[in-house]
Amino acid sequence: MTRSDAVLITAIVGAILSFSFISSGGNVGSFGITILSGLFQGMLLFLVAAGLSLIFGLMDVLNFAQGAYFMVGAYLAYDIQHTGGLIDVGIADPGLRFIVGVIAATLAGAVLGVLLELLLRPVYKRHLFLLVLTFGVSIVMLEGIKAFYSVTPYTWTEFFGIREAQFTFLGQNFTQYRLFVLAVGFALMVGISLLLNRTRIGIIIRAGVQDREMVSALGINVQTVFTFVFTLGCAVAAFGGAIAAPFLGATITMGTTYLVAAIAVIVLGGLGSYEGTAIGAMIVGLALAAMQQFSITINQPVLASITPMMLLIAVLLIRPRGLFGQER
Amino acid sequence: MDNVQDVFQETPQDVFRPPPMWRVFLREHWLHLLIVAVLIVLPHAIGWITGDSPFGRVRGSRVIMAGESTYWQAIFIEMFSLAVLVMSYNLMFGFTGVISFGHALFFGIGGYAVGIVVQYWDVDPNLAFIAGVLLVIFITSILGLLIGLLSLRLRGIYFAIFTLAIAEMAWLYAGSWRLTRGEDGLTINRLPEWIDPERSRLMVYYIGLALFVTAFLVIRRLVRSPAGAVFQAIRENEDRAKAIGYNTLRYKLLSIVVASVLAGLAGILMGILNKSARPELLGVTYTVDALLITIIGGVGTLAGPVVGTAGLHLLELWVRDSSIILSLNLGLFEFTLNFSQDWILIIGVVFVVVVLVFPYGLVGTWYRLRARVGDWWERRRATT
Amino acid sequence: MSAPLLRVREIDAFIEQFHILEDVTFDVPDGGITVLLGRNGAGKTTTLRSVLGMTSVTSGDIEYNGQSIVGKKTHTIAQMGIGYVPEHRAIFSELTVQENLRIAARHKDDLPRNIEMIFTLFPDLKRLYQLQGGNLSGGQQQMLAIARALVPDNRLLLIDEPSEGLAPVIIEQVIAAIKALAETKTVLLVEQNFRVASQLADNYVIMDHGQSVAHGVMASLSQDDEIVQRYLGVGMH
Ligand SMILES: Nc1ncnc2c1ncn2[C@@H]1O[C@H](COP(=O)(O)OP(=O)(O)O)[C@@H](O)[C@H]1O
Ligand SMILES: [Mg+2]
Repeated sequence: MTRSDAVLITAIVGAILSFSFISSGGNVGSFGITILSGLFQGMLLFLVAAGLSLIFGLMDVLNFAQGAYFMVGAYLAYDIQHTGGLIDVGIADPGLRFIVGVIAATLAGAVLGVLLELLLRPVYKRHLFLLVLTFGVSIVMLEGIKAFYSVTPYTWTEFFGIREAQFTFLGQNFTQYRLFVLAVGFALMVGISLLLNRTRIGIIIRAGVQDREMVSALGINVQTVFTFVFTLGCAVAAFGGAIAAPFLGATITMGTTYLVAAIAVIVLGGLGSYEGTAIGAMIVGLALAAMQQFSITINQPVLASITPMMLLIAVLLIRPRGLFGQER
Repeated sequence: MDNVQDVFQETPQDVFRPPPMWRVFLREHWLHLLIVAVLIVLPHAIGWITGDSPFGRVRGSRVIMAGESTYWQAIFIEMFSLAVLVMSYNLMFGFTGVISFGHALFFGIGGYAVGIVVQYWDVDPNLAFIAGVLLVIFITSILGLLIGLLSLRLRGIYFAIFTLAIAEMAWLYAGSWRLTRGEDGLTINRLPEWIDPERSRLMVYYIGLALFVTAFLVIRRLVRSPAGAVFQAIRENEDRAKAIGYNTLRYKLLSIVVASVLAGLAGILMGILNKSARPELLGVTYTVDALLITIIGGVGTLAGPVVGTAGLHLLELWVRDSSIILSLNLGLFEFTLNFSQDWILIIGVVFVVVVLVFPYGLVGTWYRLRARVGDWWERRRATT
Repeated sequence: MSAPLLRVREIDAFIEQFHILEDVTFDVPDGGITVLLGRNGAGKTTTLRSVLGMTSVTSGDIEYNGQSIVGKKTHTIAQMGIGYVPEHRAIFSELTVQENLRIAARHKDDLPRNIEMIFTLFPDLKRLYQLQGGNLSGGQQQMLAIARALVPDNRLLLIDEPSEGLAPVIIEQVIAAIKALAETKTVLLVEQNFRVASQLADNYVIMDHGQSVAHGVMASLSQDDEIVQRYLGVGMH
């Protein structure tokens, strides 16, 4: 990151925060909501966008099914937590059940990720087909969820431990769960960064983003690296959905919503740049939160829902290579 | 493709004494003519077989649209609309290689713009309707042009996600705007009598058929013209097409604008048939339909979208009517797949399988098979 | 003479629908340097890529060390002991010099075992070890690209136009390095610079329009003005 990048990012974040501050009429409390809720959403977005960005960087595939993995994760976590779903694990302690749910969702994401990669293999050389195939798979997953569950949104009803406890920030009460998501998301962010920078497979992934062919000319089976990245990306997205569920519940629209916002993130961050994805996620999260506040103030709820699209369009029109993208 | 074959098959003698024009025309188009003829007589044929009038049933002083013939007319009107949408998508995606995930935008504009003009403009319904259609053509061509211009800057995947964002935004907005009556959708009940499917459905049927045939001919004309050759060059490799000296932007614009206007017209037909414009018209489902049917039917073939639409639509009808239920009990969990309710799931699976197994789609695979059989036949004839 | 290390027999290769290589045939003897000569666009790069399975070969055979490698995956071929130093170097610019070398290691001990040898050949790399590849000069990048192929114990190195775009002083260093490493390895070199080629090579193969048109001992080629003029279009000196 160069100095001008840092200035640019500070300027954008500053603009978002000032906008939120002014539009709330200088109310410090709603300012706090914007910040916390923005970081919270940014972290969830990051979990969807990380896989999207890694997969795109390495294979030039925009995995349109990434949002569906997020949704599947949420449904599984929801189902395991609440009684009366398809899956009953028979664990009495809700906290423990939550942990089991998150782990199960992550594993399911990983397994489905491997399957998706295997499915895509025959068409790797045909780009258009790859794109439409991931699109098709996302439809199958969405409709599959509709068939397994129902189209009615599920609201999380079981509260436990951190989901219940509150803390105060700038005069507002928040549940500690937000902090938990921030902490876990941040840990994953750092973990993936370490994986990319310190391990051999990380070096291979970064090299593959630049020149896949040269990597295989060095004697490395790029295919297995693809599988690994797909698995990782999908598992992380499903994990994101699972830890989002206590807040967002499980709805069939959440996948698409987060997918579009995550695409905005990776375009903003510069396709294929991990650092850009992390920063982009936080910026988009803050922008979303600010717009949500604003849309409540002016009583135009639709504004909040079209914000991801507006951001995406704005980035594409103003700076399609994103903040950190190389000139292509 | 056929042209190339013709060139090779034409031996000097053929050129010397060409067969009469009408026979060439018939030999090439007998199937097309047959299909159009069948579609023209279809409402009457169904009416004749079932004894239900194609004009509906008389109830006192009114005619209501009941009976087999009018039922099937509605199905075919929907099919015409869908086929035009898919054909227009194929022009862009299949023939020119421009991938859009927001084609429903134009479809929805068709339904909404006509609906708004007819409902809110207090003049003679005929005038309002015609004005609505012209407005749709105007808006879709301008919007197609603008979005197409952006395809210069935003290539491939960037263009796809850009169109997705625009269409999703329109969808959300239409669902909350006062003028469009939000989620409930806009009821269109001020149509002139001749185009009102509740009063003169047969007329709507023939208008739909005319739109379908016209769209097919326009697209056919376009892709077989020199411009069509450039479309395909762009699809194969845009940079190379540019290097050869084509103004690729101009041709992409042509393809996108024609596709946008046709999608808008298809949307009008759908709006008329439903007598309402609802946010779904703008939703991702219609884009997905267009994309999936194009691929299942056969990307970049003229017949693919038609075969795909007809096949899938009739299959959908049958599946929805039937009550096939698949029940699975895997110990840990059990679930039932109700075919009549989970139609899109089935389509999605079919789509994934088609992409993997028959990437050329139904029609494309059929052409390849025919070519292979033809080769084999030629070789056999050559050896004997 | 012992059996050749690489035998290329009548291979045809296509890129998309274009027929790029036609009946290309030549041997690379075990040990020493064989140079592939030919004008721009003659098909030299495509030949190297075909050996590595990066361009698919539609007919003919390629044997490495007595084993047919046609149709094998690129990474499998590379693992058999073939190193590739591509045209325009293709080093990973986002990775440090160290990472560029580390990624090439096929076993844990490859890099520690060979790093001294690499630093002896290219002392500059030691100084630049933690720098990003993208920040290196053209000559340093070329050295890194060659070094990368030396990390595992490769037997055959395919080096494509190492002198391209380098200053004369740097070219001398690269020549010296290639000469030194050819003591222990076999090199198949593509080189446009005839002077460089004649300094280095033991044998030559000439390609023209996607075909192999002549081959022999380098010393005799330097005497044969006619062939040189016809296929390479350059003066001898
Ligand atoms: N990607 C490609 N598409 C089409 N033609 C190509 C491509 N790459 C190389 N060629 C053609 O193949 C021929 C051989 O190229 P190359 O092997 O790079 O030659 P050399 O290395 O001898 O200069 C050239 O005529 C070139 O135009
Ligand atoms: Mg070359």
